[in-house]
Amino acid sequence: MSDLESYRAKAAAWLQSMAPTFGRNARKGLSEADDLALGRRYQKAKFDAGFAGINWPTEYGGQGLSHLEKVTFDAEEMKHGFPSFYFGISLGMPVPVLMQFGSDKDFVKERVLKALQGEEIWCQLFSEPSGGSDLAGLRTKAEPDGNGWKINGQKVWTSWAHYSDYGVIVVRTDPNVPKHKGLTYFWVDMKAPGVTVRPIKLAGGESHVNEVFFDDVKISDDHRMSPVGGGFAVAIATLMIERYVATDSAGFGPHLDLFVELAKEIQLNGRPAIEDGRIRQQIARNYAMRSGLDSINVRARLMMQTGMMPGAEGSLNKLVAVRSRQKLSELAIDLQGSDGFLFDEHASQKEDWASSWINAPTGRIAGGSDETLLNTIAEKVLGLPQDHRPDKGIPFNQIPA
Amino acid sequence: MTILYDEGQQAIATESRRVLEARVDKDALLPLLERVGEYHRPFWDTAKEQGWTGLALPEANGGLGLGLAELGLIAHQAGRSISGAPFLTSSFGAAKAIELFGSDAQKLRWLPGLASGEIIGAVAFAAGPDALPPCPDVTFTDDRLDGIARGVSAGLAANIAIVYANGPGMRVLALVELAGTQRSAVPSFDNSRLIADIGFSGASAETLAAGDAARDAALHILALQAVVTAHEQTGGAEVLMEIARDYALTRKAFGQPIGAFQSVKHRIAELYGLVELARANCIHAAAREGAADFVTAAAAARLSATEAYDTAARDCIQIHGGIGVTWEIGLHLHMRRARSLAIEQGSSLFWEDVLVDQLAGEAA
Repeated sequence: MSDLESYRAKAAAWLQSMAPTFGRNARKGLSEADDLALGRRYQKAKFDAGFAGINWPTEYGGQGLSHLEKVTFDAEEMKHGFPSFYFGISLGMPVPVLMQFGSDKDFVKERVLKALQGEEIWCQLFSEPSGGSDLAGLRTKAEPDGNGWKINGQKVWTSWAHYSDYGVIVVRTDPNVPKHKGLTYFWVDMKAPGVTVRPIKLAGGESHVNEVFFDDVKISDDHRMSPVGGGFAVAIATLMIERYVATDSAGFGPHLDLFVELAKEIQLNGRPAIEDGRIRQQIARNYAMRSGLDSINVRARLMMQTGMMPGAEGSLNKLVAVRSRQKLSELAIDLQGSDGFLFDEHASQKEDWASSWINAPTGRIAGGSDETLLNTIAEKVLGLPQDHRPDKGIPFNQIPA
Repeated sequence: MTILYDEGQQAIATESRRVLEARVDKDALLPLLERVGEYHRPFWDTAKEQGWTGLALPEANGGLGLGLAELGLIAHQAGRSISGAPFLTSSFGAAKAIELFGSDAQKLRWLPGLASGEIIGAVAFAAGPDALPPCPDVTFTDDRLDGIARGVSAGLAANIAIVYANGPGMRVLALVELAGTQRSAVPSFDNSRLIADIGFSGASAETLAAGDAARDAALHILALQAVVTAHEQTGGAEVLMEIARDYALTRKAFGQPIGAFQSVKHRIAELYGLVELARANCIHAAAREGAADFVTAAAAARLSATEAYDTAARDCIQIHGGIGVTWEIGLHLHMRRARSLAIEQGSSLFWEDVLVDQLAGEAA
């Protein structure tokens, strides 16, 4: 057994032992507050067992292992339905960026340790009503204010902001230069005066994302994590962290096995639906697509293990898997006919077709829309031209709104 | 087997690409379309000379003892160059049938010639829409075949064929010499595949497998061939994606390259996705030879590769506009090949059924 395989076995055994306390079944019927409390305890248990900050430096409380161990652990963890997602953004991007760019090392270390143990949560304040895919188009501004800065504006789609203690934020500090050059990167205290968080209820009924308003929020200059005007580079560094994450060829929806089971149970014209050609075709096509993604992912892991850089095909995961999850979920509801109306907004997206279906559009937008991903493949992989960008090289305050 | 290509395998890919790019020219392929019964001899001569014909056959039988992954890499390059001879797959399928199910005498008699490329093999399982019919048209009685095997790729040039036949109360996988049989060319949209109807009237044949074993054996041979074909399809899809990309970079409209329009660039980016999924499934399937899920992996490779090649042919022509439909530019060569490869070794409908049977635990 390779080192990685023995690590996987060790992680799987520990996760198995945690499942009765923190897993899917233990969480059934909990309020979100109770679920979050359970999540904090789970995160602490992970830290104590040496499974938090797996690929982070040991001087910050991490384990000093490689990205491979991290991905391996995540893939095993995904199987149990633990309440770990509250910390996904926090530990995924803002806190690693703090480690990399934070200037006060003692402060950074204290924050990192608390985040790793589930005591503190960080959010990432990037998107705005006028700038989603166009990150550099943001309008929230920071103006010099004594020895520090004063922030005004609005962010949107901020995951877990309502539970966050801190956030990282990109703001405009100079509107007189082209848009990429006038941005600066800070961290903010989410409890500071002038910060208002308003949850957004999504189509599926849940409210993981928020609008965040900044009204004369004052921060000192030691909150700054980039040179003035150099915030875009740090923002991109944030987005590039953990490019190869644990993926799921089911698009984070139900596994194909569940669809096959459904098709065996349900009768269509007096015969099991699994015998119907239309159903068979969808199963086969889905399987072929998912097995391709699985093979791409396995190959990427093997390449990293041998010190090679995986190819760009890893970028296909979300694009291909979520679209297919959306269509398959529609078909699963079709199959159930009048029984397909049944909806439980707390059901798991990975086990329930209606829940998978109603939440699928989020998957096609968050973290890069289909269109953005296709542009990235076309431009970065295939070398096709960029879209026409009339705002290129023009000072931000002269771009027609 | 791992799914990362080693240095030797990468060398096979590079060298075969270099050789085929130098020796296969679309202008030599175009006239083959207008004549029935001709194939691209330089390709087959190259395959023989380079040892590709025996690449995946045992060393004891004159082969090189390599596997599906290596043959797949050659097939991928053959797909890129639309190499106009079906034997790389059909002779391989026939040879594998003899290697896996034949007697020592049969191996001694046929495998060295198949490995060197001097003998050409064909595989005749289908009866019209059925790639592996419950009741084959050809009958096998007292070691003799009667009936017509329809639409056999490479059938016009093959020396021997492996036939799936209807024996007394059971199916039979039979080996037959084609000298003396009645062969008629089927005019096809892809004539260099040498499609033939082969008529047997009391042709002397030998049994390779009988009963349930015959169907299992035939499905296994089809799966082996399907993996080779899937590599070929992926190669074709890949080169079409590149042709589309290159054209979109050079052709201008409204003052800019058409590749700057999202309707065009996204179409090409979607092709990238189809090609990479097919490639991943091909590599995986080649690595699963001999494993319990080999047929499942082969079916997945086959389905995704067929989708990739057909879609790439369709969209690459569309992106070219009017020039794309001309005889000279030759994109129709790919369109034709995409369709002929889609039917050889069983259509998507066939493989969808095979795959779902495996997934639903109803494997026949």
